Amino acid sequence: MMIAAYGLSKFFPVRGAFRATTSLKAVEDVGLKIQNEQVVGLVGESGSGKSTIGRCLIRLLNATDGEVLFDIPDSELADYEKARAAGATERLDEIADRFSLLRRSSSELRAVRRLVNIVFQDPYSSLNPRMKLSTIISEPMLSTRFCTRAEADIRARELLREVGLPEFFEDRFPHELSGGQRQRVAIARAISTNPKLLILDEPTSALDVSVQAQILNLLRGLREKYGMSMLLITHNIAVVAYLAEYVYVMYAGKIMEWGAKAKVLRDPQHPYTKALMSSVPVIGETKTRSILRGDPPNLIVPPLACRFHPRCPVAFEPCGWSAEEVAEDLEFLLTGKYYGTFGDGVSLTTEGERTIIIQGTTDVQRIQELVGLEKEDVRSLNGVQAIDVTDGTTVVRLYEPVEPEMYPSPDGREVKCLLFRADATATAENRAGLAL
Amino acid sequence: MPDALAIRDLHVQFHTRRGIYKALNGVDLALRRGEVLGIAGESGCGKTTLGLAVISLLPRNAAIASGQVVFDNKDLVNLSREYAERAGDRFRPRKHERVLRRVGKAMTPIRGRRISMVFQEPMTSLNPVLPIGFQVAEAVYVHDPALLARRVLARAKATSQDIRDLLTILQQTHGDEAAVKQFATDRGLVGIEEQVLHIWRRQDIHISRKEKAIRALGGQPMNLFERYVFERAAKTGAVPLQFDRLRLVYWLVRLSVLGYILVLLGRRARGILIKEGYRKGQEILTSLGIHHAERVVKMFPHELSGGMRQRVVIAIALANNPEIVIMDEPTSAVDVTVQAQILELVKQIRTSVSASFIVISHDLAVLAEVSDRIAIMYAGRIVEVAPTSEILQKPLHPYTQQLISAIPTLEGKSVEGIKGEVPDMRDPPSGCAFHPRCPFAFEKCNSVVPVDFRQGTDQLVACWLYEGK
Repeated sequence: MMIAAYGLSKFFPVRGAFRATTSLKAVEDVGLKIQNEQVVGLVGESGSGKSTIGRCLIRLLNATDGEVLFDIPDSELADYEKARAAGATERLDEIADRFSLLRRSSSELRAVRRLVNIVFQDPYSSLNPRMKLSTIISEPMLSTRFCTRAEADIRARELLREVGLPEFFEDRFPHELSGGQRQRVAIARAISTNPKLLILDEPTSALDVSVQAQILNLLRGLREKYGMSMLLITHNIAVVAYLAEYVYVMYAGKIMEWGAKAKVLRDPQHPYTKALMSSVPVIGETKTRSILRGDPPNLIVPPLACRFHPRCPVAFEPCGWSAEEVAEDLEFLLTGKYYGTFGDGVSLTTEGERTIIIQGTTDVQRIQELVGLEKEDVRSLNGVQAIDVTDGTTVVRLYEPVEPEMYPSPDGREVKCLLFRADATATAENRAGLAL
Repeated sequence: MPDALAIRDLHVQFHTRRGIYKALNGVDLALRRGEVLGIAGESGCGKTTLGLAVISLLPRNAAIASGQVVFDNKDLVNLSREYAERAGDRFRPRKHERVLRRVGKAMTPIRGRRISMVFQEPMTSLNPVLPIGFQVAEAVYVHDPALLARRVLARAKATSQDIRDLLTILQQTHGDEAAVKQFATDRGLVGIEEQVLHIWRRQDIHISRKEKAIRALGGQPMNLFERYVFERAAKTGAVPLQFDRLRLVYWLVRLSVLGYILVLLGRRARGILIKEGYRKGQEILTSLGIHHAERVVKMFPHELSGGMRQRVVIAIALANNPEIVIMDEPTSAVDVTVQAQILELVKQIRTSVSASFIVISHDLAVLAEVSDRIAIMYAGRIVEVAPTSEILQKPLHPYTQQLISAIPTLEGKSVEGIKGEVPDMRDPPSGCAFHPRCPFAFEKCNSVVPVDFRQGTDQLVACWLYEGK
């Protein structure tokens, strides 16, 4: 196994009002594995934490929590997973001491830096404008003591040729190059120390489509020639479809679904992946979309349980509805669409996470009818468990939320959605609704 | 039917310190009435320059060397072009700026009102220190204060009897637009109809709530002075008591006590009009699918997400019911799920609004979705124009063919990059600008600029391969 991450989290501190510090949960409890010589795609919208994962994996950022094992034999990894499941901390520590990237000191990391490298998104800011291309390309070779300066110069010229640039470019400066040529230089720099793992952070998003095609073909060629593992981080699903073998789909800091490319992209299972795939415009195809409402959530106060539930078209009872979410929608209905029934004077307050108190009406039956009628469109009403009257006020109680885990599916993929729980008997009809 | 807009042989050159950058080299393009025309091309091919040229927002160092932009039988670029022709090699941006000031005045009744533009990057095209509602209101207030004055007046004049009659008509005709308009004209309440219909058409509230909201429209008190000011504004379109432009008069009036009171009252009246603009903005935002628009109009741009901002920018562009809307990369700053929302929105507004659209994008798949025809640009020229299905299924120009084969698909088919680089437009290649990268180039290509050849029913291609075919 090239690299395996378990329970990886990264929280960024945020200064709130009155010096209270909270944190932005950019990545939470993410597991990710890359086999030797495998290309893995990581897709997600901006702000979903893709780049943060890439940086945490190779310790450009220090993870808040979790474990990253690098270049570990499969037998040891199996051992580690067994110990993790059993909770045998001693055995875990013993294996982690040998393979964990997070436990390396900075001098030990220097040796690892030779084996992993990264290509950044923006080739206009990732190359030092005061350095010649030869200096840029040989820098990682010298800093990791991969070879001597004389050898590095020769190798820099070879690498330029390798990525399809003429050798005389070695004396040029980055500003003399076009975007595509710069990205080629960045790739040359990244492969200069013969790394085993290459992280590509949005390698083509700053480029035009004609140049993007050149870079994609270059990457494909390099991979066939050197057989390195790659983590391809991108928001462009077509790029993943072109290069990767496995795909991880991220949303709001969590992995939603992962599996073999053909399965995840052709036959997505998670409601988010479905919506994502149907959003991609395809030439020569008019499709009926499932348009997601709203926007990605605020990660300082992320939604309860499943982070996708506020936008999910098939969310049901335990997906994590909070009193606030339900109260907002219910109030909108009571004072808007059902104004004729309830009239003025209805007001809602929330009490804790699970209860809503309705003042001004005690007509439980009507409210229940309304909930039944609107459930299909206003998904938050699915969270309503019971409505009853105490002391002249109506009290709405909500279901207890259930945190989804990665549930394995028979075809080898894993899906983080309660619809795919093994014991999900009552949800069969919900899953049928997923057929969209 | 005449075209909504015709661009004829347009040449635009940027005079920079490092030479003359030939951004547009003879663009010929017609925008038909009611269509959505997509413009595609790589970065640096002149897509945005073309959009800016149409609404005369080019910077001062851009010389319009020749050509016309014809809108409603008027040439929009004639002043600029005349200066550039007169100056020739002695083109000076400073002097051009003086010309542009006149161009700006001439364009005021057109720009933002009859032709409007949605700019790239909603973050930078909204003012961060002004609330959303103000920015929508401003667009209406600047161009059509009469509309706002009519709306205020209509509400003040409408008696409760009028409103009751109006409700009866709405119920009888099920919200028929013509009937309501007729009623408003008969009773002298022009301006109330769009407010009433907006409430009536809302899907999310109950009928009795709508009736209540409509009842609340009528009978708002208004003092005589304001009434006079708004009557005048509604008739002449003049902004009430705006002395700001005439400094001397302003101070003379202000120095007298009576004059000062007048100034204050005028300010108050303008405030009422801006408030009315908020109401109008709220209506437009609701029609673009924004929930709780009454809250959104009070927010500032940074409080909104990318998709919402994009909707606001589109709302500003649509505020004055323009005849032409230019959208410059409307979806390139947003994520794919939000992009899908915006694309659906564009499809929806083109059916509800009687405007013609120009959509500029580097993403052919986006254009394929919304446009009727697509024009492909390369090096400042339109190399191919055709209806969407035709250009995607049988692209004729070698550049179009290669551009389409470079797009990766979900099936992971092999992609082919276009070899070479986009030419340096300070010194563009002779003949066809694409010939250095073209696999089919022959002698004629590097010496003679190709003309448009008509292929099939409605396909134009600028390539010598199709000469005589």
